[in-house]
Amino acid sequence: MTVLADPALAADARRERRFFLSLSLPALFIVGLAAILPILWIIRQSFLTTGGEYTVGNYEKVLSSGLTWSALVTTVELSFGTLAFCILLGTPLALALASARPRVANLLMAFVMLPLWTSILVRTYGWLVLLRREGLINAALTGSGLTAEPLPLVYNFTGTLIGMVHYMLPLFLLPVYAAMRDIDANLVRASASMGATLGQTIRTVILPLSTGGIFSGSLIVFIYTIGFFITPAVLGGGKVNPLSIRIERTLSTFQDWGSASVLGILLLVLMALIGVMFLAARRLMARNKFGTAHA
Amino acid sequence: MSWLRISLTAFAISAALPVHAQTVTITTAGGDYGNAIKEAMWGPAAKELGYDVREETQSDGLAALKMQVTAGAVTTDIIHLGSPEGAQAAAQSLLEPLDYKIIDPNSVPAGAKSDYCYPFDSYGTVMSWSTKTYGQNPPKTWAEFWDVAKFPGRRALRANAQDLIEIALLSDGVAPADVYPTLSTPEGLTRAIKRLEAIKPNVSVWWTSGAQSAQLLKDGEADLVVTWNGRAQTVKADGGTVDYTFKGSVIGTDCLAVPKGAPNKEAAMKLIAAMTQPARVAKLTDFIAYGPVNPAGYEGGLIPEDRLKTLATAPENAGTSVFSNADWWVKNGEAAQKAFDEMMNR
Repeated sequence: MTVLADPALAADARRERRFFLSLSLPALFIVGLAAILPILWIIRQSFLTTGGEYTVGNYEKVLSSGLTWSALVTTVELSFGTLAFCILLGTPLALALASARPRVANLLMAFVMLPLWTSILVRTYGWLVLLRREGLINAALTGSGLTAEPLPLVYNFTGTLIGMVHYMLPLFLLPVYAAMRDIDANLVRASASMGATLGQTIRTVILPLSTGGIFSGSLIVFIYTIGFFITPAVLGGGKVNPLSIRIERTLSTFQDWGSASVLGILLLVLMALIGVMFLAARRLMARNKFGTAHA
Repeated sequence: MSWLRISLTAFAISAALPVHAQTVTITTAGGDYGNAIKEAMWGPAAKELGYDVREETQSDGLAALKMQVTAGAVTTDIIHLGSPEGAQAAAQSLLEPLDYKIIDPNSVPAGAKSDYCYPFDSYGTVMSWSTKTYGQNPPKTWAEFWDVAKFPGRRALRANAQDLIEIALLSDGVAPADVYPTLSTPEGLTRAIKRLEAIKPNVSVWWTSGAQSAQLLKDGEADLVVTWNGRAQTVKADGGTVDYTFKGSVIGTDCLAVPKGAPNKEAAMKLIAAMTQPARVAKLTDFIAYGPVNPAGYEGGLIPEDRLKTLATAPENAGTSVFSNADWWVKNGEAAQKAFDEMMNR
């Protein structure tokens, strides 16, 4: 932070800061209205019986049920599974995009963005057409004799994961691509001129410099996938039941708003935990980077 | 004389064109079904009564009802529910009692009668199969449906205990009349759940919406599907390689109710009475294969002879079927669904 010697200038800067801060008030107001208030309402609801009396019974009921914990495990499995595939598929793609000539990069980018502009419902049902037993992929596989029986590609965990990775890949890609684009090309040239192989350059220069992007991308993947509903509902065949589906079922079959609120809070806590984990990991990595620099 | 004629004309005009038409809001499930209810039932009835009827659609009527009533913001006057949901809503005091001075309480069989939700049509949860897979030799009973050695193939069942636990007991040799007495004992429920667990490895999809079950049949994704007769009939009529049977079906009814605190209560009762006249519930079968609950709907040739065999409650289809017991579900539904969910989780 710069220290201004002239008190008049300093006062000016303070006034300016206050003004900019006040510009955020409408946004803060909307966030308060649209996010904080409903959350407070859900917290209140989680402590009410159907008759409207205060209770902790909802928490006992939800937290002691095996269904809750298996839904939690499914949620985490889906999120981490999606993240793993996004990193495996998205990072090389981002590297290709960042190093391609502008015209090629733009064309590739259009292909990446196209699905992002399509409704999630359309895309999910699109996968159904491709993946089902008599769908395009299985017809090609059995028709060419590669497999004798159609593969179980959908109405299970596999199908759900395919749909979710497809949805998340562009959203993961964008921050990673942005980070890789920002890497100074001279650093890559320098490492090459010092005799590093391409693999070594990627490992020691490009990847460490794009960790920020990979971190942001991963966080986005988590924020989205933890509450995913449509994809597991359509592609899971009733066998993949994360917390979001558990919440819907608690409402539609049991009309139990109290328990559904507890499940919603659980989702919130899970998100907060993952957020803290990410921050910690990021700090740890930043410290390690300095550590190696000093060594 | 002329002043009399003028005032009489004015009177006639104001009677024909009331300044404030009574408005009533009705909430149905929408889609083909909602449209059928409109065309056959409330459309003509509204015209007759001179009401201005507004339609809202909700795929989950009970959840919407509960939200409206508990929030104290009731916008709908008539809501279309499944009878189990109707009984559940009544038990949670979300409904106004039916006004039996306006609606005829004796127009439905005693077993189907409700003080809160008027049953108007019926459907069967039936066994349907791909004729491509089984040709002329499909499973004929639920016991055969469970026999995966004799009838290999992929099954699709609804991801809900409703109707399925009844069917599970039928497949295990329980007589239709003994289904609910058996289910009412803890061992009976466990027996039904165990039976479902036995077929689980052969269930490729647990469907969650009627439209999805129809799609599974159409796409050949499953060979044996437990679904609603209306859905199976639609796929069959569209030329799908599908057939179904009413033998051993679980018959459910749908009903109409007035939410507690509805803005136009009395008009709602009148509209329910008018839209469920025998000719109108019989007319509903023009659009969808859901037969009248009111026996008068089957009289006087209101429904063509050849259509009768597509209706769950038609006289010739009764006998092997079980009438879904809404009161049982209100009392035991939560325990049954929980046991079902835990089975799905294992």
